[in-house]
Amino acid sequence: MTAKSDLPQGTLDLLILKVVALGPVHGYAIAQRLQQVSRDVVQVPQGSLYPALHRLENRDLLAADWKGTETGREAKFYRLTRKGRAQLEAETASWRRLTEAVSLILKLSEGGAE
Amino acid sequence: MRWWHRLWRRKRMEELLEKELRFHLEQHAGDLIGQGYDAEEGRRRARLALGGPEQVKEECRDARGTQWIDNLLQDLRYAVRTLRGNRGFTAVAIASLALGIGANTAIFSLIDSVMLKTLPVSHPEQLLQVTRLKDRDSFSNPIWEQVRDRQDAFSGIFAHTGRRFNLASGGEARYVQGSFASGQFFETLGVGAVLGRTFTSADDKRGCAGVGVLSYDFWQRAYGGRADVLGKPIFLDGHPFPIVGVTQPGFFGIEVGIATDVTTPLCAEAIIRAENSWLNERSARWLWIIGRPKPGILPSQATARLKTLAPEIFKATLPPTMRADRQADYLTDSFETKSVASGRSNLRSQYRQALLILMVVVGVVLLIACANVANLLLARGAARQREIAIRMALGSGRARLIRQLLTESILLSLCGAALGVLFAQWGARLLIALLSNTRNHVVLDLAIDTRMLAFTAAVAILTGLLFGIAPAVRGTRVQPQAAMKANGRGVIEGSRFGLGKVLVMLQVALSLVLIVGAGLMLTTFRKLASLDAGFDRGHVLLVAVDLRNANYPPQRRAAGYQRMLDRLRTVPGVRSASRSEMTPIGGGVWDSELLIDGYTAKSHQDVIVNFNQVSAGYFDTLGTPFVAGRDFNQHDTPQSPQAAIVNETFVKRYFGASNPLGRTFRLNNGPGVFPPVEIVGVVKDAKYESLREDIPPTAYRAESQDRPGMAAPSPFTNFELRSVAGAPADLIPSVKASMEEVNRDITLQFTTLATQVDESLTRERLLATLSGFFGALALLLATIGLYGVMAYNVARRRNEIGIRMALGAEQARVLLMVLGEVALLIAIGLVIGLCAALATTRFVASFLYGIKSNDPWTLSLAAGVLALVAALAGFLPARRASRLDPMTALREE
Repeated sequence: MTAKSDLPQGTLDLLILKVVALGPVHGYAIAQRLQQVSRDVVQVPQGSLYPALHRLENRDLLAADWKGTETGREAKFYRLTRKGRAQLEAETASWRRLTEAVSLILKLSEGGAE
Repeated sequence: MRWWHRLWRRKRMEELLEKELRFHLEQHAGDLIGQGYDAEEGRRRARLALGGPEQVKEECRDARGTQWIDNLLQDLRYAVRTLRGNRGFTAVAIASLALGIGANTAIFSLIDSVMLKTLPVSHPEQLLQVTRLKDRDSFSNPIWEQVRDRQDAFSGIFAHTGRRFNLASGGEARYVQGSFASGQFFETLGVGAVLGRTFTSADDKRGCAGVGVLSYDFWQRAYGGRADVLGKPIFLDGHPFPIVGVTQPGFFGIEVGIATDVTTPLCAEAIIRAENSWLNERSARWLWIIGRPKPGILPSQATARLKTLAPEIFKATLPPTMRADRQADYLTDSFETKSVASGRSNLRSQYRQALLILMVVVGVVLLIACANVANLLLARGAARQREIAIRMALGSGRARLIRQLLTESILLSLCGAALGVLFAQWGARLLIALLSNTRNHVVLDLAIDTRMLAFTAAVAILTGLLFGIAPAVRGTRVQPQAAMKANGRGVIEGSRFGLGKVLVMLQVALSLVLIVGAGLMLTTFRKLASLDAGFDRGHVLLVAVDLRNANYPPQRRAAGYQRMLDRLRTVPGVRSASRSEMTPIGGGVWDSELLIDGYTAKSHQDVIVNFNQVSAGYFDTLGTPFVAGRDFNQHDTPQSPQAAIVNETFVKRYFGASNPLGRTFRLNNGPGVFPPVEIVGVVKDAKYESLREDIPPTAYRAESQDRPGMAAPSPFTNFELRSVAGAPADLIPSVKASMEEVNRDITLQFTTLATQVDESLTRERLLATLSGFFGALALLLATIGLYGVMAYNVARRRNEIGIRMALGAEQARVLLMVLGEVALLIAIGLVIGLCAALATTRFVASFLYGIKSNDPWTLSLAAGVLALVAALAGFLPARRASRLDPMTALREE
């Protein structure tokens, strides 16, 4: 089993917005998809997933509807609001800038070590 | 969705949250079972992965931002449950808070309506009253007309005076409160009509026929709100005035405490007062002037503008009969202004201080009630320590517990306040009834307004915090493990009840202050009510007569009065009858400056003497004995030398020990020389204007002789009738009948001398009644507090007392031990209370009569009563302690 990483502060919201951006989805599926896509590297603590979803809903970044699943059960499906999409774009851009800057710094220190 | 929306849909949200999480768990478990776990294990792992469902829910609620409301609701629910579970405690606490808060709200609502509320007119804050620099704030009509015609700083300005009008045209008078107001009155105030019109400057011209504008309340009360009143006449003092309109609801005039029913233009004064009209009278000051500055003009600018006009105006209106030395003063007088946003009010100036004192008194009562509830909470907190320790052991934070206990306190005080508002509504009406009498019918707007509700809510919350905070902090100062000990009774430490005892001492001290205050007020009232006023107030009926409707030409009035007096003397049941210009304690003063032969005046003030004009038999009827000389008789005629009877103070001040009979004085009122008046008799001193006054030098002139400066007797006079036995009011029907025989259009008004004297003590009675009531209430609350603390103390110390008794302590010893504690509490409380009383009662010194604010008898009597009652309250628990069965007490351990 590969080593698991804790999520950096604040990134859970970004990841949730990204997953929801792909189409309406319920909470359990979000947890599943995050785990699968990250190849089990990102371990989403399920206990903090739901508070995060409710917080995003409360900030009007997500909206939710109760709909039937393929198996015929009722589940709460989250979707992105217009405000949420804008937020996702802004946060993605900011994340990119941050990671580029971080990796630049990391390269620099590797160069220094050679 | 806003949080309150969510709050509304809270229940639904809870269900959905539950459903969402259940779906998650079932899906996860299903997947795990699909991966080969058995059903039980799959569900277990799914639950493990999600974490504690309650914790997740809590965090979700937090994320939604409604957690604090959930907490509050939880606390409230819990508080309601706890309070319900303790009905006795809750009832006592709420009742004492309702009394305390209700009393505060009642007094405040009175203060609100008398002193704070602004007039129900448009922009009352802009209104300015024009006042005088050197004198009282009333003006003559000539001054008003000058101001009206010359001023240019006010967009509207009016003169106003209140007056009672008699609606009856003969027989017993029926009065309504009315007023004379100049033309711009309604326009300046911005008060409109709901029916017809108000009057304008066009209606207020000299020589007008007069119109009447009714108040909405009067229209409803007297005319049933009928629209056909317009154009119909209303008879005021016998003169018909066509009704032209009804003012908007809520407008009561500009004098707080009086509801003006009818307003007529100022020019109508000439109709009502006829030959005695003051419209041209330069020395009569009877009008108040109020104006609204033009937009953009500041009050200071308006005042400055008036000041520049002052010299000319005062020059043009100089009273011709004024003495030279006063003329200089008059000519250099000037104008000032002051805000009248909350209207004018005699009631306010009369009761302002009394109301503030009462506010402090009820504040102290509330403090005592708070101390009581705090004590109850402390005792209950001790009983709940186990519960609190368990909750702390289970992880509740102390802050959260304190918050929860405070929620309970505030809920208690809010319940008390809600009940208190009802109590206050009733109490405030009672207060107004205490303020009112037959002469002064007080009408105040007591509608609950936001200011009153804000006051009550603030008092309630502060009260809740005040009595709740100490018990809450103490109650939660507990080690969780302490509760886990097998013996739950060891939790409470003895020292913990120090606070309860301090509260009881405080109660005793505060109650003592209130009881001393009550004692002083009661003594004042008793002294005033029972003092020797110089006349015998029992068995005297006063009949005020108004001839204006009865068509008596001035020259026939004297004969008419004599006929009436002769007729009244024959009414069965009348022992003696007399006639006079003024009646004792009637509210008016007639005074005059004298030149006294053989006496050199120290100042103008020194020789100002009160006057009355009376018939023969006046002193006999009132029961004022003669000291020397004779009564007036049939030989005192307009042609004979002027005669006067004076009182003892007059003699003492101006003649010392020498014989006053045969000495003379002259009036010194204006230019010219008045004829000499000879003193023919001396009577005992009698109160003139009020019971509180030092009796002034008084001279009585014969009503059979002319009143100097007056061509003919006025159309008003008073008769006094002493009944043989029985209530003087029983004479009224036969007096009415006999007066009708003389002339059926004479207007009469009846009162008894006892009532008239009694009503002059309205304020004293109010203060005595209320301070007595609140003093008793304070005593009761403090007694309950003391009893509660001692009873609790004894119950808590059952073990100790049981052990003492088992080791041989006698009953009497235990009794003395507990009583000793009680005595110490009371003693310390009394000492503090005495110091506080000495420090505070001097603020009421101006209300007292015949007693000093530090009267040792009152202080010791109050302390004695309090000590006795408190000792009784402490005796019951002490006796219970001494009768403990040691075996039972010990077995409980």
